[in-house]
This record gives sequence, structure tokens and C-alpha cells, in this order.
Amino acid sequence: MANLDDYDLSPDAPSKSTDDSGSTDEMGQLKGASGLVRIPLALLLIAALCGAWFAATSTSDFVQHLDREVHKIHCSYNPSAEIESTIESPCRTVMLSPYSSWFRQDYWGGIPVSLWAIAVFAFLAYRAGHLLVRGRSLRSEGFFLMMATLLPALMSALYYWLAISKVGAICKVCQGIYWSSAAAAVFGIVTLVMSKGSDGKGIGRFALGLVEGTAFVGILTGVYLTMAPKADPNAGGPKGCGTLAQPADENGIMIAIAPQAGGTPTIEVLDPLCPSCKAFDTRLRASEMGSKLDMKGVLFPLDATCNWMVTQSMHPGACAISEAMLCAAGNVTGQGNPAEARKILDWAFAHQEELTTQAKTDEPGLRKRLETEFPGVKGCLGGNQVKNKLTKSLRWIVANALNVLTPQVFINGTRMCDEDTDLGLEYTLSHMLAGAAGARK
Amino acid sequence: MNDTVLKIVVGAFALIVPCAKVSGWLGDAGKRYAENRAAMSAKPSDVPVAAMAEDQYCTPQLKAIVRRVAGACGLLGGSGEGGRGCQPQTAQSVASLSGEDFNALFLPLSKRAHIIQFDAENTELDDLGKAEVEKAWADQRGASFFFVVSRASTDGDAKKNEELSAKRAQSVLGHLDAKFHDPDLKKEVGLLWLGEGFAQLGPEFCGWQRSRSTAAETPCTEKEINRSAFVAWIDCAI
Repeated sequence: MANLDDYDLSPDAPSKSTDDSGSTDEMGQLKGASGLVRIPLALLLIAALCGAWFAATSTSDFVQHLDREVHKIHCSYNPSAEIESTIESPCRTVMLSPYSSWFRQDYWGGIPVSLWAIAVFAFLAYRAGHLLVRGRSLRSEGFFLMMATLLPALMSALYYWLAISKVGAICKVCQGIYWSSAAAAVFGIVTLVMSKGSDGKGIGRFALGLVEGTAFVGILTGVYLTMAPKADPNAGGPKGCGTLAQPADENGIMIAIAPQAGGTPTIEVLDPLCPSCKAFDTRLRASEMGSKLDMKGVLFPLDATCNWMVTQSMHPGACAISEAMLCAAGNVTGQGNPAEARKILDWAFAHQEELTTQAKTDEPGLRKRLETEFPGVKGCLGGNQVKNKLTKSLRWIVANALNVLTPQVFINGTRMCDEDTDLGLEYTLSHMLAGAAGARK
Repeated sequence: MNDTVLKIVVGAFALIVPCAKVSGWLGDAGKRYAENRAAMSAKPSDVPVAAMAEDQYCTPQLKAIVRRVAGACGLLGGSGEGGRGCQPQTAQSVASLSGEDFNALFLPLSKRAHIIQFDAENTELDDLGKAEVEKAWADQRGASFFFVVSRASTDGDAKKNEELSAKRAQSVLGHLDAKFHDPDLKKEVGLLWLGEGFAQLGPEFCGWQRSRSTAAETPCTEKEINRSAFVAWIDCAI
């Protein structure tokens, strides 16, 4: 590719005599050329602005969580619409997935990919806006613009695939970005087709455009990293939120829910019907950090049927499922396998809403269903010994004076702060694991 | 306008606007984060902390009795190794109450207590008794103390009846140990044997959860209900 201006497909391409260095005469020449290219440029500008708006909405939602609190987020094709009415939504799932941001282990929450989308769309808007005001696009400019539009288009395709195949949820704001990217790419191609003229400086202009685009991304990233709230160095974060007073499993109540030879000893206090536990489990599995933990579970069903610490059942049916897990894992009779308990946990996570609904009206029915799905728990589920074992599990919680909430995660005995279990998971885990490794040395 | 100037103006506008917006969002988040940290350090969390149960029936008198029994069994202030060797005490020294007042303390436990019945002159648990003991033990919930109060009917010699009631209490403990192999057993079970002389159960206790409630051939009389061990988890912080 000796010269990008060679990509001139139009029949009336002018000779390579003009340039756009900015002299008044040359500008006059450019203005004299066809203004039809303004149509795709205007449409591209609109698409870029839409994309920037969607990306900004997504970034804004992401950024507000850097205060370590839980907020409602936008989940509509219309970014100006009211924020979502419920806490759980596909948009939240996507936001909390490890694909929503980069460098998560280095920065709390990482750098949201939507921030770079803003930069790219702003850059496209700048390039399209400039050519639109000028009223003329050289072939090399059209080519660069078209190439630039391919970046968000390809990234959108990649992220759409990730959303479908890895995250299992698509956010509407993200779809707005996808559609804007697609539209920008289409209008970029049309702009190229309608661009005319060349000045022999195509390669230089292409290189300059790359520098400009990189600068847009770099400057916005720099602003983000400079302004992002820094973790309190004195408390929370990697320092954790307390330690276990009596971590030993004297009564054999822990279940190896994600064993990992050589991994850092980790205890998760969980309720199989707790949506936050399910969400945490999903995030941990998606994160590469999960493979560094040798995870044991302590069951803490927030169900008044067996748990005296809750006056009203938050998750009806959780006692029955916890019993089934203890039975299947072999914690009661010595005959069983933690992997079987893990299967029950996964099944409970997958059917959480349905199981909770059933347990509200028909807890015995839920127990029968458990026996049908997992025949190995027959004869143990509902028995005195498993009830006793579950009580021991609850008493382990008491002995450690833990809060009545799930999930709670202890890395090598140190509790991960609740606010670090979602967006800050990778950052906090990587730093806690580094600390745990240092302590072991 | 010069094309270069135009590019700079449009480019600067396109860059400054998102930078300003992002900077503003981050500034707001940082401010909220700082405020939250300050609020958290100023005010303790309102999330409840896991604790053992403390039910309304935990009157000072009931707690005093349970404490004395726990102390006599070596459950308090030690490793609990003395759980199997409760020191015999006179019921009056444990309770400092009349028999009726003693029983009245346990009336609120009607849903929690189980009465394990024995045959006359017998200290062995039958199958129904074993099942009832296991059921009672498994229903610990947040309780920290398992109370076994055994009795004998007024038939026969008082001294022999005291021995009978003591063996009945030990029989309950022995079965729990054999069945559950629970390391906490020694820390949690307190035995009190009353023989025939103190706090005999009235026939109204026949309506409570008891091991022979379904055995039609053995009608519940006052003598029958006192050939028993009264077992219950006590939901009190002792």
C-alpha cells in the first residue's frame, strides 16, 4: 500500500495536486467540491454521538459504583429514560462481569471498556464533524474515517459474542452502542465511496489520525485514572474487614465447593437460595482469580425453619437445600462426595426463584423434589443427624460472631469487605492473595 | 476558518466534553466514597450479628437453675470435660424453689420440651424413647444448653427412685453420645435427677410431646409421666 489515495473508487477523482494544509486558497478549492458527502458525514456524526451517549450512560453507571455502594443503573434503549426499577437486571450482570472493564487486578473496578467507547465515538464525531463543517472529504480522509468506524464495529461484534456466550445477558445500553457502531460503520463506508480527491499525503494523514485517536483514548484514560477514587489505605480493601475468631472446622460442617490444590484457603459463608451468593459465584467463576482459591463453603441458610437468627425467612427452602448438600457431601454419614454437594448448589442456583416460590407454600414438596433430583440424599435429608449438622454450621457462624448476611468470603481467615465482592473483586482478591502469599513465606 | 484551526476547535470540543463529564462523575463518586468511609467509621454497622437464642421465657430463676446444673456438671468455666460426671445435688439446693414453682418455670417450654418415658423399675430407653431423644437433640436451633431432668414415680423406696432417675438421665446422655458422636455434647448437656421427692409432674404434662403419646396400651397416668426424663434445649444465654 504505497499511498492510501490510490483507493479512489470514484470516476471523477481529481489529480493529486491539492492539499488541505489550511491555506485559504486550498480551502476554497475544497469547498468548491461536491457537498453530497455531507449526508453520510452527518449521519455518521449522529451515529457517533448516539454511540457516545450510550457509552457515556454505561460509563456513568459504572463510575457511580466506584463509591463502593450499590446503585440502580440504566437499562433501556433510551438513555434518558428512568433508571431501572429493580436491582437485578441483565445490564447489572453485564456491568459486573469481568468483560465490562480492563485491568481489574490493577485498579479497583478496572477501566470500563465503555470509557474507551466514549473516546472512540468522540473521535469519530470529531472527524466526521470536521469534514461535515468543511463540506468535503478527500479519499484518504474517507478511508481513514471508514477504518476508524471499523474499530467500534469489530469491538461491538466481539462484545456481543461475549455477552451471548460468556455472560449470558445483553444490556440494552450496550445494544445501543452496538447499533451505533454498526450505523457508524455503514456511514463510514458510504462516506468513503462519496469521498473525492487526493493530495498525496494519505499515509501521513492516516498516521496522524492514528495518533489523534490514540490521544483521545489515552487522555480520557489518564483523566479516569487520575480522578478515580483511591482505596482507603488504612481500612477495608485488601486489608479486609475483620478475621475469623474460630476458623477450625471441629464439627465437620464445611463442604469443599471449589477445591483447588495449592490454592489459598478460602471460606465462603453462603445460602444456596441467596441471589447475591449466586451472583458472587458467577463472578468468581468468570474471574481467573477463582482458580487461585481453595474454596470451602459454610452453609448459612437465611430461612427461619432452621435458623433462629432470622425472624422471617428471607430464603424459604434454604434449610432443606442446605441439608441436602450436607447429606450429599458426606458430612453426615461419611458417605458422599463434595462434588455431589456442588451439583446441588449449582442446581439450586439455577432454579433459585422457582425453588423459593415452591418452598413458601410446599416445603415438603421441595424436599421430595430434592430426593428425586438427587437420590443419594434419601434417608438422610430431614433426619435428626443432618439437622444437628446444620445447626453446627449455624453455630460456627455464631462462634465467629459473623454478620447475619450472605455471602461472606474469608481469604486465609481475613474477611473480604462486602463492597469489594462485585466490581472490586479482582483487585481486592489479587491484593489479598498477594498478602496471603507474603504471610505464608 | 483555517482548516487546521477548524480541526483543532472541533477536536478539542470533542475531547474536552467527555473528559469534563467523566471527571465530574468520578469526582462525585470519590466524594461519596469519602463520605461513606467517614460515616462507616463514625457509626457501627446495623447488620445484626449472629448470636445464640435468648427466648422470652429465660427468666432469672430459670437461668439460675440452669446455671447451677451446668456448674454441677462442670459445663461452665471449663473445658466441659465434666459433662459426664454431674455431681449429685439435692434438688432444693439447685432450685431454691418449691416443686410447683420449679415446674412452672418450664411451662413456656411446652413446644420445645420432650418427655422420655420409661418402664417401671427400668432405666433403659425403648425405641420410642430413643427416637424422641434424637428428635429433641436435633432441634437445637440457637440453644446452648440441653437440659435433662429425670424423675421416678413415687412407687417404692425413695433412695432407689433417686438412683433410678439418675440412671435414666445417664441413659439419655449415653444414647445421645452413641448416636451423634457430637464433640459438643460434653459442653452442652446438663443432667438433673429429682427422684420422687421434688417437682413431680402433674397429669397435665401428658399433653406435651412425649415418647409414648401414640402407645395406646399405656395410658398416661401421673405415675407414668414421672417415670421419665424431661429433655429440652434451653434458648437462653447461660
